[in-house]
Amino acid sequence: MNIKQNIARLQDFYLLSIRAPLGIFKRPFYFKEIFEQMDYAGTGSLFIVILVSLFIGMAMSMQISAELAPMGLKMYTGKTVGISIIREIGPVLTALIYAGRVGSGMASELGSMTLGHQVDILRVHGVNPINKLVTPRLISSLVMLPALTVVGDAVSLFGGYYVAVFVSNQSGSFYWSQIRDIMDMQNIVSGIVKPYVFGYLIACISCYVGLSTRGGARGLRKATTSAVVYSIIFVIISDLVLTIILFKLMGFSI
Amino acid sequence: MIEFDNVSLSFGKRIILDKMSFRAEFYEKIAVLGGSGEGKTTLLKLILGLLNPDSGRILIDGRDITVLSESEMRESRMKFSIVFQEGALFDSMNVYENVAFSLREYSALPEEEIEAQVRELLAKLDLEHAIYHMPEELSGGMQRRVAIARSLSGCKPLMMLYDEATTGLDPLTADNICQLINELAAGESPQRLGFIIVTHKVTDAVKVADRYMYLRQGKIAFDGDLSALKLTADPELAKFVEELHYCIS
Ligand SMILES: Nc1ncnc2c1ncn2[C@@H]1O[C@H](COP(=O)(O)OP(=O)(O)O)[C@@H](O)[C@H]1O
Ligand SMILES: [Mg+2]
Repeated sequence: MNIKQNIARLQDFYLLSIRAPLGIFKRPFYFKEIFEQMDYAGTGSLFIVILVSLFIGMAMSMQISAELAPMGLKMYTGKTVGISIIREIGPVLTALIYAGRVGSGMASELGSMTLGHQVDILRVHGVNPINKLVTPRLISSLVMLPALTVVGDAVSLFGGYYVAVFVSNQSGSFYWSQIRDIMDMQNIVSGIVKPYVFGYLIACISCYVGLSTRGGARGLRKATTSAVVYSIIFVIISDLVLTIILFKLMGFSI
Repeated sequence: MIEFDNVSLSFGKRIILDKMSFRAEFYEKIAVLGGSGEGKTTLLKLILGLLNPDSGRILIDGRDITVLSESEMRESRMKFSIVFQEGALFDSMNVYENVAFSLREYSALPEEEIEAQVRELLAKLDLEHAIYHMPEELSGGMQRRVAIARSLSGCKPLMMLYDEATTGLDPLTADNICQLINELAAGESPQRLGFIIVTHKVTDAVKVADRYMYLRQGKIAFDGDLSALKLTADPELAKFVEELHYCIS
């Protein structure tokens, strides 16, 4: 792999990541594909997102109340859990689950379509593979990842509540009143911007990797793995970058 | 007419085509022979403009397609229909939807009209009974037939491109596909629907083609008709052709 080819690949990725979102506003619209993808990505991931979020919420609540109890600050468990979940853990955790479950699926499906020349057939028939394959996956990610994140956040908070009230013997109504307190514009915006960016990154990376699959079964394995690995890396990096930007924009002070 | 003018292409350090030049008319019946990995599929993709060469020109009816953009390419691609290795059917669609694909994508025809056309085409290729099957439920031979049906629907190609149309099929089914290829290419030379079949099975190639090219190390090592092929002095090609002598004897 020489420099020229690396640059060409980077260029291809830029083109894909620009053309795919433009396809949202351009005919033809592939509604059937969009709904199928939404069903796969959203409905299909719901169970695992709920399961993981519930347990993480419970574990967090337990850790934090244990830490706060000796200082006599146990009642602030709700606030601490709430902020960590909404601003940070919820979006990142859901995105990582999404990358592992949906990103790998996108890469392997598009990879096997590429290897089986199905993508070439689309192009021969004058169908733009980006519009037909990438845009529907991008749309479904932009809708479903934020939705899953909201569900995951809610379930985590509920798990936190359960531990705070039934294990740590705190007041349930005080827990919820703190959660209500932190549901201000700043926290909600910082929690909801992230999943859109993550969804965009995961869909573009996974589709790009899938469409550039080469070399049979081994190539497919590599494509699926790289889709997940790159998605995770970029989600984590962009999370920090976004946190910094949002802190500036929202005027949080450290 | 297809014209390759000093076309070179390499992937990484691997040279696939090395200053290749040839000409072919749309009505010709050409078999491109070559071992696996010699760039046979790549050659077909270049003709369709699915890949761009590193250097050289590819002229389709005198127009250099290597400089065209993806949208300008459409017109030149419509002159061809391709049947890929293994069929390349859309595995999320059944036979009907696969064959209706280009009609639905491109024509504003009402669904009844599309259905009529698809049924007619499937009947012609002996596939009516499989109309609502999914590709994975079909045998290899049937998959190729469906792929041929799909490549014929909704367009009037001037030339067919078959990528390993008979590879991986039992001899009887392979023969069947050869017959189909011959039927589609029936007629007299300037009007008929010519084809390029890419294969490493020389025994199938001789059933359909009348011009043979042998691809080796990025060059066309042989270009001629059957009698020249049988008399070839090239030791590697002779190995390919050896099989033919067994068949005849
Ligand atoms: N897009 C690609 N990127 C890198 N290598 C490729 C690509 N397409 C094909 N190749 C390689 O080029 C060689 C020729 O491929 P191909 O034309 O498919 O051969 P065949 O004659 O078997 O059809 C193979 O070694 C293949 O691995
Ligand atoms: Mg091949």
